[in-house]
Amino acid sequence: MNQSNIETLIDAGKKRKADFVEIYEEESRNSSISLRDQKIEQSLAATDYGIGIRLVYGTDVLYAYTSNDDQQHLLSLIHLLADSRGEAANNSGTFALPGDVSKYSFSKNIHDPRKVPPFRRLELLQTADHIARKVSSKIIQVGVSASDIVTNILIANSEGLWVEDLRVRSRFFLSVTAENKGERFVASESPGALKGFEFFEGLAVEDIARKAGERALFMLDAGYIEGKKMPVVMGNGFGGVIFHEACGHPLETEAIRKKSSPFVGKLGESIAQSCLTAYDDGTIEEQYGSLKVDDEGMPTQKTLLIENGILKAYLADRIGSMETGSPRTASGRRESYQYAPVSRMRNTYIEAGKDSLDEMFASVDFGLYAKRMGGGSVNPATGEFNFAVEEGYVIRNGKISEPVRGATLIGKGHEILPKISMVGKDLELAAGTCGASSGSIPVTVGQPSLKVDEILVGGR
Amino acid sequence: MDLEQAAGFVLEEGKRYGIDSFDLIATDSEDIGIEVFKGRIVSTETSRSRGVGIRVLNNSRPGYSYSERFSKEALSQMVRDAMDQTEITDPLDMELPGPKQLAEVDLKHYNPALEKLDFAWMRELGLALDHASWESDKRVENVPHVGVGKSSSQSLIANSKGVFVKKESNVAYLGTGLVVAEGDTKKMGSYYRSGRDISQFDPSYIAKEAAHRGTELLGAKPLPSGVYTIVLGNRISPQIFGMFSSPYFADAVQKGSSRLVGKLGNEVASPILSIYCEAHTPDYPGSRLVDAEGIPTTARTKVLENGILRSYLYNLESAKKDNVLPTGHGVRSYSGRAGTSFSNMIVPFGTKTKEELLSSDSHCIFVTKLEGGAGCSAVSGEISIGIQGIYYKNGKPEHAVDRITMNTNYFDLLHKIQGISNEYSDSYSSIKVPDILISEIHVAG
Repeated sequence: MNQSNIETLIDAGKKRKADFVEIYEEESRNSSISLRDQKIEQSLAATDYGIGIRLVYGTDVLYAYTSNDDQQHLLSLIHLLADSRGEAANNSGTFALPGDVSKYSFSKNIHDPRKVPPFRRLELLQTADHIARKVSSKIIQVGVSASDIVTNILIANSEGLWVEDLRVRSRFFLSVTAENKGERFVASESPGALKGFEFFEGLAVEDIARKAGERALFMLDAGYIEGKKMPVVMGNGFGGVIFHEACGHPLETEAIRKKSSPFVGKLGESIAQSCLTAYDDGTIEEQYGSLKVDDEGMPTQKTLLIENGILKAYLADRIGSMETGSPRTASGRRESYQYAPVSRMRNTYIEAGKDSLDEMFASVDFGLYAKRMGGGSVNPATGEFNFAVEEGYVIRNGKISEPVRGATLIGKGHEILPKISMVGKDLELAAGTCGASSGSIPVTVGQPSLKVDEILVGGR
Repeated sequence: MDLEQAAGFVLEEGKRYGIDSFDLIATDSEDIGIEVFKGRIVSTETSRSRGVGIRVLNNSRPGYSYSERFSKEALSQMVRDAMDQTEITDPLDMELPGPKQLAEVDLKHYNPALEKLDFAWMRELGLALDHASWESDKRVENVPHVGVGKSSSQSLIANSKGVFVKKESNVAYLGTGLVVAEGDTKKMGSYYRSGRDISQFDPSYIAKEAAHRGTELLGAKPLPSGVYTIVLGNRISPQIFGMFSSPYFADAVQKGSSRLVGKLGNEVASPILSIYCEAHTPDYPGSRLVDAEGIPTTARTKVLENGILRSYLYNLESAKKDNVLPTGHGVRSYSGRAGTSFSNMIVPFGTKTKEELLSSDSHCIFVTKLEGGAGCSAVSGEISIGIQGIYYKNGKPEHAVDRITMNTNYFDLLHKIQGISNEYSDSYSSIKVPDILISEIHVAG
């Protein structure tokens, strides 16, 4: 949209007495190619396009979106929203943007995937398939895909903001299925980054495929752990999903403003042991959850959430900040124009500590080493969480023992935090996708290895 | 361009480019809704989203693309994009269908009266539900979720062989999610009504049901680890059966992602269990007369009958591979590739009441809530999941339970089904499963 059209839309919202008007325009070019059953089963290149209009009255949010950029249609949406509140029009002035544009684009290192022909990704997929199948004849299926998305966004608002951002993200996904006498196990890997085609050029595909194949094979023969409460040592990297779900979501002002979090009113209070410090940082270069500006146009930042066990901050978007009094942390995020932004995490991690993995094992007589986590979920209102362990081992007399499958960790986030007693030195970050009220967004989770003194492990 | 014009233009473009064979899916939907919090309408949303997606088969090589812009330039670019993809894909042995006579059934997916529902109706109902939620029980501590809205959509399936089928549907919803507290314990109860009969949208009833779902779990405590008889309540049995629908899809079987490979005609479940796919039941959300690839559906596909696996579900590609006729279970959105799906997954009623199931063992856990699905895998059949519910002793409720997990394998669970009730949950869902009694389940607490 041109400046004149945007000014007309913002003006229309102001005339309907909105305190704040925001226009969000987005065009994405996405492509993906997938291989399964040793065949290229899908190759796709497509365009998403749409406009989101947000009117804010106090802290009440009115949101409309459409993929039709006809100006009269967009004006009709503004009037439809205002009508829903019964807001009459006034004739106050004409809105004009100041003309200052913040324009972010690719860095010079980006290899624009739109200029890369699809066959360049073929070799990558076939290599992954070949290496994973080579691990064993018990590997019966390999699914692998490479996808990227280039998104051009424009955000303008009634405070005079005009921001344009060009973003590119790439993701690789591999799943390997092993089978033995009817039993099956699936191991998967899914690295991603805020990078263009150079992400695939630098990816250690052979290593990723071999490790996934070996894990699928190894875990195929694993037994089950006896379910009960026990100490758990959690592996680094994607293990951070447990902090993301169980503690990160309840720290978003989207939960805080509705008093729907166990951390309401706990700022400045001790919520964990002094060994634990955690951040949500949108500025880490090339990480999957990084952003130059959030989806409300604010430059991102590194936010200290917990410092030595003390709760320091919530993650706030515009509305969450207004309702809770917490400063905005550039955490307003949305999957696309089809969602109004709300406070969401970016790259969330627990800072490295001083303990070694061996020291953690040595402190456990009987417990679980949850080396790799699968997915998980949480109910922010009650803090109840549920996580799957993809690769686990029994810890017996301070040493790693037999592998176990099918373990689940359940508990409440605010109750588990104080039970984290050891924090390792081996911080690692991993890409993920987070689903919540403003859609599915790219994030990074991370942590060093951790020891939790007691948690319920589901098993047999 | 409207939906039909866009589809017509794409069909012409396909011919102009000389594409052998192609089909398209197009949708145009409108949604409006509000969210209420503490007597205020805190969020109002209106949306219009539309898109058209094409699948071309160029010398049998598939290529996909879609566009959310309905301009001639964008749609023409979409066709060229799809053609470009066919340069790298592997050939697909598949033929698109021609037009066929569809069953003459009114699926009741469209109620013109819903089109008159406006923001004023939503505001009145949403505020009433918010108020009723706070008043529903003295232990209600918070009501973070109250929503009301409606959506309507048009969808269109067409192909180069002359299939051109359009469908119109709409639906409304009203629901609440509230937090109840007693001592240090907090539980959430949620209840949503959706459908086209808005006389069922009674705020008082909805609030009371949500409160009941929360309060029945107050005072919950764990049980000792052990092997228990459980009853999956009919609110959550559809969740379990829904998570494990893909093993019945022929493409999953063909590609090594199903443990049901080679099991046609074999007993894979308790003889009291049947699973049907029903596509013509009026007012069920998954009902459809034609699938997403233009194949007419049939009223009932017997997938599992009295424990015997009778049929996989096929789309065009998987049917050709097994040299059988497609069963009308192709599914596709405009932005995705073709897959397979149940229309409505139906487990027929058993002969007992829920109370009889709960009395069938001296110790029994009635499961009413699942905590996430991350510990469940449709490929391996693994089920390792947190559960909540009520512990029954000699057929009487003893106390609520939480902080326990259920650990089993879906394919083992099917054999352990001992009883099926005669009641479905009243949710507007394409998966209908009654209460299910299962013996010998590992529970950790």
